[in-house]
Amino acid sequence: MNPKGRPLGRTLLFGFIIFPLLVTQLYPLIWLLLYSLKSNEEIFSGKILALPKEFRFENYVLAVSSGHYIQYLINSIIVTGITLLLLIFLSTSAAYVISRFRFKYSKILLLIFLMGMMLPMQSALLPLMILLKNLGLLNTYLALILPYTAFSMPISIFILSNFMRSIPRELEESAIIDGAGPIRIFWSLILPISRPAITTISILAFISAWNEYIVAATFISSEKLKTLPFGAYSFVSQYAVNYGAIGAYLILAALPMVIIYSILSERITKGMVEGAVKG
Amino acid sequence: MKLTPTVLLFFLLPPLLFYLTFVFIPILLSFSTALLDWNGIAQPKWNGLKNYSDLLFHDPLFWITVKRNVVFALFSMSEIPIAFLLAAVLSRYFKNGQRIVAALFFPVILSVVVVGQLWKTIYNPLSRGGLLNHILSLLHLEHLTRAWLADPKVAMYALYLVALWQYLGYHVLIQFTGIQNIPREFQEAATIDGANGYQVIRNIIFPLTMPFFKISFVLAFIGSLQAFDLIMVMTGGGPAHATEVMSTYMYNMSFDSQRYGYGSAIASLLVLFSLLATLILNAFFGRIERRYDLH
Repeated sequence: MNPKGRPLGRTLLFGFIIFPLLVTQLYPLIWLLLYSLKSNEEIFSGKILALPKEFRFENYVLAVSSGHYIQYLINSIIVTGITLLLLIFLSTSAAYVISRFRFKYSKILLLIFLMGMMLPMQSALLPLMILLKNLGLLNTYLALILPYTAFSMPISIFILSNFMRSIPRELEESAIIDGAGPIRIFWSLILPISRPAITTISILAFISAWNEYIVAATFISSEKLKTLPFGAYSFVSQYAVNYGAIGAYLILAALPMVIIYSILSERITKGMVEGAVKG
Repeated sequence: MKLTPTVLLFFLLPPLLFYLTFVFIPILLSFSTALLDWNGIAQPKWNGLKNYSDLLFHDPLFWITVKRNVVFALFSMSEIPIAFLLAAVLSRYFKNGQRIVAALFFPVILSVVVVGQLWKTIYNPLSRGGLLNHILSLLHLEHLTRAWLADPKVAMYALYLVALWQYLGYHVLIQFTGIQNIPREFQEAATIDGANGYQVIRNIIFPLTMPFFKISFVLAFIGSLQAFDLIMVMTGGGPAHATEVMSTYMYNMSFDSQRYGYGSAIASLLVLFSLLATLILNAFFGRIERRYDLH
């Protein structure tokens, strides 16, 4: 192969396969960004690459001022934050018992938890609604936090218990000799060592809770409690004829994730692969 | 360590009870609610297996939704070989492959609301600035332009396409990780022995990434079987049930028509199908792995 052959082949591959693909994957988002700065007339004229004649930032002003953007953002932060804390608390302790203790039913117990990975959340929507209604929790933050946490537990327990199983027994034994009980061992030995696995489950749960729409739309009705995806959906239905403002709202709705991904893309992609290995 | 009552009480009971209350028991309840005739307000009436028999034998729409889920799964799985080739090319010929993969992956982490609404505007009719129709008219294919989501003949395919678009990057990422996990020496040794790019991919990369294929296939299959939010955001199952799949049918029956029993019957079948699909896929890949002697 001549020395120039490879770069040429690479250029061709890039030019004809990779680059067009990057365009199809990313262009719709750029188009949305341009769209969000245009007026209706410019959008209808539909020049697909045209920059806006003047940048209509008032679309964004409208989105923030009459779309409760800040309120929804805060709600999303509260719901996702508490979900993560509760999830870490519950699934680390369950994984600890399953992976570090020997008892008769540990296999069955793990199986019951793992079965949850295959159960579709939408199949539980109706019973959950009835349950939450009876508990008086419909239309509260908890109506979202509880299902989000519970349905993130199976994959989290799976990842955590695999990780904790790989911690050498000797560490634990020397702690026992030093007089540490199971709670101390958990708190000052197992938890710190498991930090990478905890990061992974937090990423997975963060993405699914932050983006979730259907549960929010079904269990929440109060304007004050809507999360960002649900709020964005409501805004779009309400301002159905103001296209630029819709575009602006969608950009704003995507913005937190865009920022987080641009900082943590390596951690996130790694976490998503680890989460996918559940099959 | 031995399990003591303290450990049981502090560590096991809270997560177990929590999980049973909010996941396991609600799922089981859909099986029992399926035996009722209930609108959520009046006293529930015992209905035996009638909901199931109506659903399976007298409701053609149900089987149409099942078929759509299966087609959905086939479409989703068809992009996996493409993703694999892309990943192979990226990892073999590009130093910054990781960055390109990260860029392709980006749509995966967007909320279904953003993705759904974005594509709704892309599918808009020409008069409302829809991107797809504009591209078609630039290519002088005006006769193909239409309101993609309002046309029952094409709406479902328009939705499949969005899912393919959103998840391509996920499969590329999974396959890319699989290929990166292969020790570099394997590929180098084969290249020294005179294997060309195709042979390296066919005989070294492909068999060794089999476990990652399994992951992609399971994700695509189960994901499509349970496909839900995207359709709810984009069409809600319409126009005239043209994009209804099992989950949306279940949702519309339960929450719109207030037929709790019937909706629960669909929900419980969805659970059964999901479990069944997982078993079948595991058995299938178990056989392939044995054939390649991978473990």
